[in-house]
Amino acid sequence: MQGEFYSYTMAASKVILILLAFAILMRCLRSMLREEYDPEVWAYLRYGQDRLPVEHWEVIIGRSRDADVYIPERELSREHAILRRTDRGDWKIYDVFGRGGVWINNTFIAESGSPVVDGDTLNLNSIYVKFQDLGMEKREKLEAKRSGVGSRYSPSLTLLMLTAFQLFLLLQHSFSAAPEHLADIALGFCSLIVMEWSCYNAMRIINRSGFEIETVAFFLSSLGMSVAASSTPSDLYKQMLLTLAGVVLFLISGWWQRSLQRTASARIPVAAAALLMLAVNVVASDVLLGARNWLEIGGFSFQPSELVKVAYVYVGASTLDRLFRRGNLYVFIGFSAINVMALALIGDFGTALVFFICFLVISFMRSGSIATVMLAVTGAVLAGFLAVSARPYIARRFSTWGHVWEDIYDKGFQQTRAMSAAAAGGLFGKGAGNGWLKNIFAANTDLVFGMICEEQGLIIAILMVLAILLLASFAIRSARSSRSAYYAIASCAAMSMLLVQVGLNVFGSMDILPFTGVTFPFVSRGGSSLLSCWMMMAFLKSADTRREASFAVRPGETIRSVRDWQQSAEARRERRAEKKQARKAGKKQGKPSSGEKAAETRRKPEVAEKHETRIITEPREKTDGGKKSEIRVTLQIRTPRGKGAGKK
Amino acid sequence: MRKMNRRALSVLLLASFIVLGLVGYVGRYLADGERWATYFSRLNSLSEGIVTDRYGVLLAAFTANDNHFNDDRSTRIANYHVTGDFWDRTGSGILTSFSGELHGYNPVTGMTQSRHISMKLNVDAEINKKAYAALADRKGAVGVVNYRTGELLCMVSSPAVDPTENEPDAAEGAYINRLLSASFTPGSIFKLVTAASAIECVKSIWQKSFFCEGEAEVAGVKITCPYEHYTQDFAGALAVSCNIAFSQIAISVGQTEMINHVRRWGFLDSHDLDGIRTAPGNYPLEFVGDPETGWSGIGQSTDLVCPFSMLRFVSAIANDGIICEPKLIDDGQPPVKSVLVEPETAKTMQRLMRNNVTTTYGDIRFPGLTVCGKTGTAEVGDGTSHAWFTGFLLDEEHPYAFVVFVENGGGGLSVATPIANTVLQALVRRGTDMEY
Repeated sequence: MQGEFYSYTMAASKVILILLAFAILMRCLRSMLREEYDPEVWAYLRYGQDRLPVEHWEVIIGRSRDADVYIPERELSREHAILRRTDRGDWKIYDVFGRGGVWINNTFIAESGSPVVDGDTLNLNSIYVKFQDLGMEKREKLEAKRSGVGSRYSPSLTLLMLTAFQLFLLLQHSFSAAPEHLADIALGFCSLIVMEWSCYNAMRIINRSGFEIETVAFFLSSLGMSVAASSTPSDLYKQMLLTLAGVVLFLISGWWQRSLQRTASARIPVAAAALLMLAVNVVASDVLLGARNWLEIGGFSFQPSELVKVAYVYVGASTLDRLFRRGNLYVFIGFSAINVMALALIGDFGTALVFFICFLVISFMRSGSIATVMLAVTGAVLAGFLAVSARPYIARRFSTWGHVWEDIYDKGFQQTRAMSAAAAGGLFGKGAGNGWLKNIFAANTDLVFGMICEEQGLIIAILMVLAILLLASFAIRSARSSRSAYYAIASCAAMSMLLVQVGLNVFGSMDILPFTGVTFPFVSRGGSSLLSCWMMMAFLKSADTRREASFAVRPGETIRSVRDWQQSAEARRERRAEKKQARKAGKKQGKPSSGEKAAETRRKPEVAEKHETRIITEPREKTDGGKKSEIRVTLQIRTPRGKGAGKK
Repeated sequence: MRKMNRRALSVLLLASFIVLGLVGYVGRYLADGERWATYFSRLNSLSEGIVTDRYGVLLAAFTANDNHFNDDRSTRIANYHVTGDFWDRTGSGILTSFSGELHGYNPVTGMTQSRHISMKLNVDAEINKKAYAALADRKGAVGVVNYRTGELLCMVSSPAVDPTENEPDAAEGAYINRLLSASFTPGSIFKLVTAASAIECVKSIWQKSFFCEGEAEVAGVKITCPYEHYTQDFAGALAVSCNIAFSQIAISVGQTEMINHVRRWGFLDSHDLDGIRTAPGNYPLEFVGDPETGWSGIGQSTDLVCPFSMLRFVSAIANDGIICEPKLIDDGQPPVKSVLVEPETAKTMQRLMRNNVTTTYGDIRFPGLTVCGKTGTAEVGDGTSHAWFTGFLLDEEHPYAFVVFVENGGGGLSVATPIANTVLQALVRRGTDMEY
């Protein structure tokens, strides 16, 4: 193998891998961050002569410059009201308990929000704003005007590069792997290629063109596959199956989050499941690897805390209307405290820290208050001091930090080996499978940065970290345009978790931070970690509102499609009720339950009511016409960066 | 949602920590990567290396999965501070200082390339063994350099350990190379510096005479001499190492001029021995007044001298003022030369140092050799004293400059000169039939 052909091929493949990785990330970066995309427009608020676009499903109306609908009038509170669209396409307005309150057509709104329909006049402390829902045609026109994804940076070309990247990795492995593992490794990489292309084609079929997140995730997964192929080639099929499971979970949870109502309604069960998993973990799990955070199920060791991460983000994110109710934050703080304490009890301080920093990000995004965050940090530091003074062994676990070279046979064992191997790899690495770090305990999980440095070189390792930063930047960028605060918070929280994991993994193994044994997203070997990372990507997908980009976002619904949906939902419900009745009839010989009936009667008038209001709106509009002209017009419309929807 | 946009920047804060950390890591990688890489990776290195002495005697060697040292244990120990070990216990050994070169490391390719490297040193393993034996387990160091070529022929520091054994209870200070990595109170050998300064600064020095009754008040402070030297001239005062005379000489040179010379002759600097940094010395730099200047002129006060700096100084004197920078590794390059001491001063010093041996120490101590030198007995305050002897051979065939140092060893003349004699005799006879 050590012939000239080998050395030239190896050298060339190292350079090609770096170029490909760079090109893939660069293309994703340009398409995700550099391109300007027009925002969605759902409705307009007419204030005097001005037409203020409503660009999200949740908007704040107020005098603050941070308000989404910015009306600089003294009468308004900084955040006066929240306008919110439901999945079904109808709108509700909530009072933020600002001065003067909110009236619709001169009726004071309910505390739990009141429905608003096209043509309603909102009275915000005597500022009159007319609500104009976009008709089907108008929305479709606007949607057609918005720039789409992938016109400049074709996702299929990027994916082709990724495929080449994976094939070159496979080539390197083919030089170094034992002959009996060669087939497995080839199968592993080919399965990745099949998965990414089928995923891409599925997206094409449902007319979705944003594929950057998946591309980056598959890029990291191929490095993960390479790590697995080097370190545990004999059970590579596990990595394959888990990646497949991860992708499936990604698709399911992305699809699940399409509906905000569905997402929100499942929060309490998810929270309960998370607490249950942690409880089982604390009580029943084995003492393994210093931290009792593993459960063994059917040959797969399973880390509940990884799934709890997803649940935590899911539960922690919140819609805008709930943000202004303090009580919700307290419940969340309680939930977080239980999570972090359970993890500390298990002894998994790395994951506890991941949760804690994610908690800080979520609570800052929910409250916007630095004071709250500082309070939480102070509390945590105090708790940390208490814990350390009560249990000195905790401090001892971190005692080698910064001095790993003084204790290379015990506490610094792993880190020193990782650093040594990482440095030995230089910039270009030794080639996949040629390292020695893989033989060290936890090399393919906690020391994975060292392993990538050794085998693929520092440049690829840095690109690997930058890939996560790229995803994080996209989450930040999406926060501006996502439909609901829920999606914005969820995607930012998910990325903050992954960022902390990256920080602890990379800098822990390189002795810049204490070594806590945290996995690197997608790259570290570990089933539950892989699953949770893919599910985290679903949060990111659901915040991506570029035109027809993400499968996790419903296409810009028109009124008609909403009606269709409503009707079909109605039909489904009826069918379900019929079935149920039929079943019950089978059991109890035809006695329709009173509950079913009541539900139906309750629902029907609701629909009827809606039609009624539609009819009434017409004359009301006319009466408001006179008032409108008197209002002084000093409006500055803040169009979003780039081209506003109105200009096009 | 605009609020969310602002608040989402908290994630950017986290991201910026990651970037900061990455930059920090790359910095550490560039600074320490060589040390990290070679520490464990050498066990998995693709390279092979061998380190030999000037006659090709194997000192250390390693292949992809093995490493070994000289078969003779006492040779291994005597050369420990030359080779170092594979555990990096001593910082100045070749294996530690040159692990990158030996393993073909560089920050770009890491250790991904296979090389075969052989490194020939200028030291003579056999002489090191003799010198180590002469030190007889006392703490100390011996250094010998060829002052015409700069070849470092002998570098020994005692105590040392066997590089193949990782014993936890090694003798105290066994990992410190006393020739390079530490500075000590010089005592009377520092009078060489004072004398050379006086030659350059005090025109009337040759006309002066000094009177010593064993003790005297110099600038209001009592300075003592172990013997009563009575009336003496400059050369005589150096030969008998009269404290009273030399404290007066230092005062007449003046602190400023003393500092200038000490600095110019490299006693305050850390030197570079083929990439190995040596310890800097010390001399009172702030104004201390005449009494302290007097004390510092006789190598007491806060004076500290690294034996290697003294070796450089005497080898420059021996080579008529031109220093051939000592080299540990034989890389075939010509020596780096520069003027360290004024040639006239150097030649005068040669005469004075020769006079020391002929009139005071006696050639009988060095049979067959033409030694120029100066002894030193540096009081260190705890009742003991460091024994020093430094000088050179006035011999074109054997142009060797040397420094011998025994920590808390006693008198320079009684303790250090025999060691110097043993080493020099061995060196002069090396390669002739007289030894083998």
